[in-house]
Amino acid sequence: MVTVKLYASLRLNPEEKEFTSAAATVEEALEEAARRYGPAFKERLKHATVLVNGRHTAHLNRKKIRLQPGDTISLFPPLAGG
Amino acid sequence: MLGGYMGKVLDVNLSNGEMKAYALPERLLDLYVGNKGLGSRLLYELTPPGVDPLGSDNVLIITTAPLTGTGAPSSNRFNVTTKSPLTGAIVNSNCGGNFGVYLKKAGYDALIIRGKAARPSRLVIEEDRVEIMDAADLWGLDTHQAQEKLPAKTGKIVIGPAGENLVKYAAIVSGNRVAGRAGVGTVMGSKNLKAVTAAGNLKPQPAQEGLFKETCRKWRELSRSHPATGEQLPRFGTAAFVNICNATHTLPTRNFQSGQFEQAEAVSGETLAEKYLTGNEGCLGCPIACGRQVMLDGMKIKGPEYETVGLLGPNLAIGELEPIIEWNYLADLYGLDTISLGGVLGFVMEAGEKGLLKTDLAFGKTANITKAIEDIAYRRGFGDEMAEGTRFLAQKYGGMEFAMQSKGLELASYEPRGAVGHGLGYAVANRGGCHIAAGYCIYLEANGPITVDPLTVQGKPGLVILNQSTLEAISTLGCCIFTTYMMLPRKLLELNARSRFVSRMLRFGFQKGGNLIGRALALPAWTLPIKPPFISFPQAEAHAHCTGRRFTMGQMIELGKRALNMDRLYNVREGFSAKDDTLPARLTEELQRSEEPRSRVPLAQMLPRYYRMRGWSADGIPTEKTLRRLQIEQNNLL
Repeated sequence: MVTVKLYASLRLNPEEKEFTSAAATVEEALEEAARRYGPAFKERLKHATVLVNGRHTAHLNRKKIRLQPGDTISLFPPLAGG
Repeated sequence: MLGGYMGKVLDVNLSNGEMKAYALPERLLDLYVGNKGLGSRLLYELTPPGVDPLGSDNVLIITTAPLTGTGAPSSNRFNVTTKSPLTGAIVNSNCGGNFGVYLKKAGYDALIIRGKAARPSRLVIEEDRVEIMDAADLWGLDTHQAQEKLPAKTGKIVIGPAGENLVKYAAIVSGNRVAGRAGVGTVMGSKNLKAVTAAGNLKPQPAQEGLFKETCRKWRELSRSHPATGEQLPRFGTAAFVNICNATHTLPTRNFQSGQFEQAEAVSGETLAEKYLTGNEGCLGCPIACGRQVMLDGMKIKGPEYETVGLLGPNLAIGELEPIIEWNYLADLYGLDTISLGGVLGFVMEAGEKGLLKTDLAFGKTANITKAIEDIAYRRGFGDEMAEGTRFLAQKYGGMEFAMQSKGLELASYEPRGAVGHGLGYAVANRGGCHIAAGYCIYLEANGPITVDPLTVQGKPGLVILNQSTLEAISTLGCCIFTTYMMLPRKLLELNARSRFVSRMLRFGFQKGGNLIGRALALPAWTLPIKPPFISFPQAEAHAHCTGRRFTMGQMIELGKRALNMDRLYNVREGFSAKDDTLPARLTEELQRSEEPRSRVPLAQMLPRYYRMRGWSADGIPTEKTLRRLQIEQNNLL
């Protein structure tokens, strides 16, 4: 199982900050998240930053990133600050 | 006269009461514009080499920009420039308080404060009156009490007890906003100046009013519709960075011993918004309104920013927001820089653990921190030594390898062993360990939506130059640096997130092409007459319509380079060189993670290329050719 963590405006349900998933790839995990939280979430996923164990994945083929048990996927909207 | 300016500077000598108002030469304004750039040039011309930062010959300079007070979004900032008593280098500290707008309402673009008052004083600036008044009734008051006693409907700057007691990292406070870094409040305190107020009814006039208003309207729309400035910053504030920095190993934890904190979520912007937020508190005229108003013990007070949360939270292994909110509030009342404060406390905790000094402060323990902050502000007991900063403590007690500072300035809240370009920025920053002067490369390495490999040196010198030059220019135009986030348009962010091809191209372009970008930025301004089509640049357009002068993207980058080189030149005159562009050994020698052999900052590999691309000698000094290209003249312009 892997953990999918949600942050900032991607936490549509404030009570649910993360969920566990049996997804085998990052793409599968993202599809599962989209099904779970609906169209508003899917819309926000369009510009989300997807990290696997702290590493950015936008430049990688997410269908081919095989997940290992214990991996963490973190989903962030575009953040700003400093 | 150029549009946006009021046309004169106020020059006050507190030693003899002399006051002058005069016009700034047009060439000086053409080359250095306002805020940071103008402040740097004025300091260079107005202080003798080797000036004592706390002596009467040091000068405190407050500058505004043409956009200040015009209604341009997120652009009412003022800048404080002086020689830092903490570092011995130049310091520019930027603030979103209302003082800059009111200084222009009183008819002045800048304020130069020289000398030292014989007794506690305050300066009153009005359209037809400037007066140095006694401030015995204000001396000793905290920054809120002092501001409450000053007349309403004025722009204010004040210092608190920390500034009065010459704590080396004392701040200047304006409303609830703070010019925090490197002891600008200490210099104000050394001049016996408790407060300055400004008031009037004048208004800066943009040269091309119709075009200016239309640009500002589009700018506001862009800001509100962008996911970063329109949603994330207003909803979660700057502390939204806690979780992503934690995920990317860049959240300083236990005095930068690691980049991840097990209780990060508990001190995150999300938790702050969920449990404490009562409203937003933006700077004057800013549509972003990222500032936090929170409820604590029945009081509505200002909430902490990311830097404060990081350095008083994970950096001290504190996993609760409530004490951090309280310490942030106290630091504001006393007028203390929270970044340096967190750096000092983290160092003392680790030095205590290692037996280098005796302290009742310890990682993970909230006990005694409130008292330590008070002791620092009033220089009581060991607080008197903590008030001197981390470098002083390490020189006295040992532990320089884990004194988390550069040029004497405590590092901001980013662990650079998770983003090595950011580490290069910290080392070369003219102000010292400041994330803004460093160029904030981390946004292209770890916590932004478009990123390159954070641990490679490839392209990093060029990216640091790109970011530094942009931020220096934005600060000089008087805009908040958060306006740079919307320069990456929403569509581009979407394409980056959805299209592997686009993301790879951007990553390739920034990483492989980073140094090429750096070299291209060395070209003269005329080589970049128009902005690239895919980025938004309303700041430059608004500046052009405000002043009535053409202002291309090339000119903007050149302005940033000129401002940065001006700071460098000041530091060189004070004896700084490559020997000072350093980081603590912890960051360059020790691995952050044993399983990641690249998790340290290979500074020596990046520095020579950075210097070459900047047009500096191997000793980190701008060459004659570079100064000539940037029209940085040795003779005085004032």
